[in-house]
Amino acid sequence: MYRKLSKPLLLLVILMMVLAAALSACSSEEPAPPPESKPAESEAPAESKEAAQPAESEAPAEKEAAEAEEKTAEEAPTQEAAESEAPAEAAPAQSEYKLVWYASAPHPYFEEVLKGVEAFEQEYGIPVEKQIGPDWEQSSQNERVEALAAQGFTHFSIYPSDASGANGLYEELTQNGIKVVNFGASTMQPTTASFVVATDVKAAAMQATEALIQSMGGKGKIINVLEVLEDSNTVLRKEGVEEVVAKYPDVEIIQEISGMTSVEEAVEKIGNALSANINEVDGIIATGFTTSVGIAQVLSEYYDTGGDREIHAVGIDTDPTVMKAIEDGVMDGTIAQNPYGHGYLSLLALKYMADGYEPVEGVYHIDSGAAFVTKDNLDTYADDIMAVTEQIKSELTTKYLEK
Amino acid sequence: MAEVNVNQNVVSPKKNSNSGTGALAKLFRRNDMGVVIATALLFLIFALVTDSFFTRYNLFNISRTAGLYVFIAMGQMIVLVIGGMNLSLGGIGGLVVVAAGYTMDSMGWSPWISVPIALAVGMLAGAFNGIIIVKSKINSFIITLASLFIFTGLVTGISQGFPYTEIPKSFTLMGRGSLLGVPYTFILAIVTLLIMAYVFKFTVIGRRILATGGNLEAAQLSGIRTDRIVFLCHVLSGLFGAIAGLLWVSRMGSAQPATGSDWLIISFAVAIIGGTALTGGEASMLALFASAILLTLIKNGLIMLNVNVYFEQTFLGLIILLAVSIDRIRAMLHSSTRKFGRRDATEA
Repeated sequence: MYRKLSKPLLLLVILMMVLAAALSACSSEEPAPPPESKPAESEAPAESKEAAQPAESEAPAEKEAAEAEEKTAEEAPTQEAAESEAPAEAAPAQSEYKLVWYASAPHPYFEEVLKGVEAFEQEYGIPVEKQIGPDWEQSSQNERVEALAAQGFTHFSIYPSDASGANGLYEELTQNGIKVVNFGASTMQPTTASFVVATDVKAAAMQATEALIQSMGGKGKIINVLEVLEDSNTVLRKEGVEEVVAKYPDVEIIQEISGMTSVEEAVEKIGNALSANINEVDGIIATGFTTSVGIAQVLSEYYDTGGDREIHAVGIDTDPTVMKAIEDGVMDGTIAQNPYGHGYLSLLALKYMADGYEPVEGVYHIDSGAAFVTKDNLDTYADDIMAVTEQIKSELTTKYLEK
Repeated sequence: MAEVNVNQNVVSPKKNSNSGTGALAKLFRRNDMGVVIATALLFLIFALVTDSFFTRYNLFNISRTAGLYVFIAMGQMIVLVIGGMNLSLGGIGGLVVVAAGYTMDSMGWSPWISVPIALAVGMLAGAFNGIIIVKSKINSFIITLASLFIFTGLVTGISQGFPYTEIPKSFTLMGRGSLLGVPYTFILAIVTLLIMAYVFKFTVIGRRILATGGNLEAAQLSGIRTDRIVFLCHVLSGLFGAIAGLLWVSRMGSAQPATGSDWLIISFAVAIIGGTALTGGEASMLALFASAILLTLIKNGLIMLNVNVYFEQTFLGLIILLAVSIDRIRAMLHSSTRKFGRRDATEA
């Protein structure tokens, strides 16, 4: 009996030891560095993580000075911040702010947003609880956000995993006096979220379509690559593309494809659509992240394998694969959103609400702006987006919030 | 490519007594012919009704995707055939992709070093599943479900969701290159299928695998060390997943950490439509090959036909149903022919 049980028990003990070791390793170590080729370094206007944390090899004196400087930055907001803040007597102490930033799952986009969150923390000296969930399921988001609310956090900046499903969570939170701001994407209307800090998806789709048609010389046939039809944003993007195309009598959408949740699926479907229309297609437009990566991959491959038809392409977001395709001349451009602003501005709006500000009636959408990236402005487009962030920041307590 | 099953090879060889009906009739009687016929019919239909189907570019794409599907399906087939399953196949694929991307991009290593490392990672992940299943005697569904989370967590933890884009150009040869217009991926898939068909049909280890899946207790009583077979099949599953992952990196020219996220359905669909019994002990390399092409053809054809995007999934389901019904019709025709044959023989 004991002999029979000894093997499984031993295995169980080994497994538990491995698990304990893994958990302790994960909690004490810095995460592994992401690939060097990510665009974050070139794109993000904020200081990088490395810059914020002095290197170990620094001279002790320099290190101390840097630490002192960092401490000062944490303790006191910058002059600029102080000027734009609410009166000091009304504002809670920095430690009393209970702010949370919550992202659905590990993703390059959230890494960019995180930079804005960290810049906010550094500039205002207010700590923010930053959490990245395990997946894109609304149920996972509910569990984790509810746990954070139970810990006493009162102001949440959340990327809604499900545009409709997140409203249920928000209703419960706001009923308990908790303030929520969406970043990156909006929940379905009506919603109890105070704001959404995001790109105007329809406007971005229209801008991308306009750019594509211009690159095609105002005429030709287009494949419209949509992401997932269940997403309400996809419907808006579809409308945006179709509205612009309708303005050009010589432009026609010859095929529309959708239902792509992974890059593999996108590559297969876009490849198929290209095959089906290879003798007549002049342009491809994608208005989703995954599909843009798919276009970059398919077209790179098409030209690498000897494809000679000139096919113009415009996508959205700044995934390294897309940026490389633009650099190589495979794609004409992409719409860069403002992930830094999504993080920074959503937290700033929450801080103001904690200071006693209320949203201006009827104002919900804070358009974080977008820039069209081409081969020519690959290195400078981030400055344009940063300017938009500064503009919104200066208008936050006048246009969007009031006391 | 042979159709093999445990009844044929180990327990009681399936020999048809109705000989003399010609080679075509013999071929038609094979269990794996249904999916082959369905694939051929679908191929014909798409070729006739769409203009762009027979273009070189399209055929290249179809065969390359089918080649990739073959490896994904083999990763599942090799564990289904022993009566198990591998839910973590996509996780293994993602892990391999990240291992390849990390070593080539972040470490700057040559593909000659990265590829063996990535393959080893795949096999180790398979071995991890295998050893726990064998030692704990817990169902492979539960173990591989748990390891799916472990592998997926490692993928996101290591890559943080970022793709690895600095993959040497030379590495894309296998995924993008071709021999006389036939993609290398497709050629590699056919060669691997032929090897596996040979292994199942003519080698001891192949027959032991089928026997283990056909009847575990009988296999144990006949002296087969089934634990070793289970372990081996999981290592092979990891290896096939690793090859699929590497082929994907080679095709893309970048390593996307989300690779493998949609392999679960593909692996089961291709393997099961391709004649692998869920109960184990039966697999057909020919049907698996046809099934991989069938699924690729359906997806390709729906876009070629420019079907309404809102109803695409419905069409996909309907065509799969139609394709598998062809096999049922074939089986019914076959059994009625046999009945008539027997009656004729009795009357004579």
